[in-house]
Amino acid sequence: MKKRNIGPSVIMIILMIYMLIPLVVSIIYSLNEKWTQLLPEGFTTANYVTLAQDSEFIASIGRTLLLCVVPIVITIIIVLLALFVSTAIFPRLEKYVQLICMIPYTIQGVILSVSILTMYVQSPTILSNRLLMLFGAYCIIILPYVYRGIRNGMNAVNMPMLLEAAEMLGCSKIYAFFKVVVPNILSSIIVSSLLAVGIIFGDYVLVRNLDGTAFPNMQIYLYQTMKSDSQKASAVFVVIMLITFLIAAVVLYLQSRQGKGAKSRDKE
Amino acid sequence: MKKSKYMHLLALVPFLVVALLYELIPLLTIIIQSFRPDGGGSFTLENYKTVFSTLLYQSAIINSLKISLISAIFGIIIAFIGAKAANEGQGKLGSFFMAILNMVSNFAGIPLAFAFMILLGSTGVMMNFADKVGFDFIKSFDLYTSNGIAFVYVYFQIPLATLLLIPSFAGVRNEWKEACTILGGGPATFWTKVGIPVLMPSVLGTFSVLFANALAAYATVYALMMSNISLLPVQIAGCYVGEVTTREGLGGALSVVMMIIMVAMIGVTNLLSKRFERGQRK
Repeated sequence: MKKRNIGPSVIMIILMIYMLIPLVVSIIYSLNEKWTQLLPEGFTTANYVTLAQDSEFIASIGRTLLLCVVPIVITIIIVLLALFVSTAIFPRLEKYVQLICMIPYTIQGVILSVSILTMYVQSPTILSNRLLMLFGAYCIIILPYVYRGIRNGMNAVNMPMLLEAAEMLGCSKIYAFFKVVVPNILSSIIVSSLLAVGIIFGDYVLVRNLDGTAFPNMQIYLYQTMKSDSQKASAVFVVIMLITFLIAAVVLYLQSRQGKGAKSRDKE
Repeated sequence: MKKSKYMHLLALVPFLVVALLYELIPLLTIIIQSFRPDGGGSFTLENYKTVFSTLLYQSAIINSLKISLISAIFGIIIAFIGAKAANEGQGKLGSFFMAILNMVSNFAGIPLAFAFMILLGSTGVMMNFADKVGFDFIKSFDLYTSNGIAFVYVYFQIPLATLLLIPSFAGVRNEWKEACTILGGGPATFWTKVGIPVLMPSVLGTFSVLFANALAAYATVYALMMSNISLLPVQIAGCYVGEVTTREGLGGALSVVMMIIMVAMIGVTNLLSKRFERGQRK
């Protein structure tokens, strides 16, 4: 019996080591002066100190934040409105909304960015603004995730019944939707926004193709640094991975709490 | 009353504006452009002829297909073993394994390229190690080739594929294993005759996700190779960005080819998995 249980554990441990090697090596690399022999030499935190004093790096964090917040807020609002119409008022529209939201799954970064670029780069209107193009592209890239998250949330709270109850109490439909349904699916909205943060945070393709190096976010900053100074880049790498993992951990935690909530509700 | 119902359609307007401006119209435009000569003019298939007759673009298609297939196949095999292990070995190690998978599945793009440069680049940590110890087989590995790229792709496929496969293993019932044992079959018989066929739809679905993932991946390969490798996303981006003249027709045709490959792969895997599902119902 005991022997049978060892196999899976060994496989999991080997896979974990394999997956962690590149991360661990990069972290050790960032904390040492050089690593050209068998072992790294000269423990130092200098890489992080110079990074913290680099105003360009701090600015790149700010830009990344801006790039996350604006498209996510826009996407959540437009998806909520669209889902309100397509689920509560005109159910026949639902499948078209779904289709539009799912197409970005198959086009992905490169094609989306070049198609938006050729479309608007020579436009005389404000549409040719590079930052605006980038915001638009991000809205589309995160659309499937936001849509799926909010739609699942709606399924979980039995939205038609909530709306009906609110209407019986004298609310208009749209008021009922935003005052009753939306607060109930707030946790789904938060989880899908965090997933979206993860996607935008990790993006390099869209920002490079649409903005060149005019709006360097953290990924562009890492790319430029790794071409010149791999020591400093390794510190940037560690900061980026820390933030990425933090976002993923919060998503995982919220999702597991959601799961537990749903289960305990089932039991009642 | 009727009128106010249609007033609600206004709430759909912002969604439609964003979708039309940044998804539907640009996509349609790129498809239309692929049938137009660059200088402007009427319908032509010239761009597609160029794609399929130029060595550079032929090799882009072949390399992309090759790397995507290889990385998806290796990824799915390793992930299958990993997911099977995660399903069998529960407890603390299991949940730790899940946590690591979740974390590492976010590890992609530029940071991934950087970590592999540090590890396996020409002066990477592993390379120095191999040099000192005398492991020539590591020394002969070259990250900056299509095999090297495939190796990096396999790395990012594994966590994603394992995460996608684990839930489906819950569908393989223990009673089936017992029934198989009673009928005289060992674990090998069980997995080849029952387990794998039952899991095949999820395996195929995951495979098409992995394939699409590798086909579209651009940041990692760009960071490692710049434009020194011929892959579809690299060639597409090259037609629009960073060159003196943009070649929109050609880029459009390449984009359409890439989308067709992706849709074809989804179609094939769907068809295959339907056959497996039908087999189960009988």
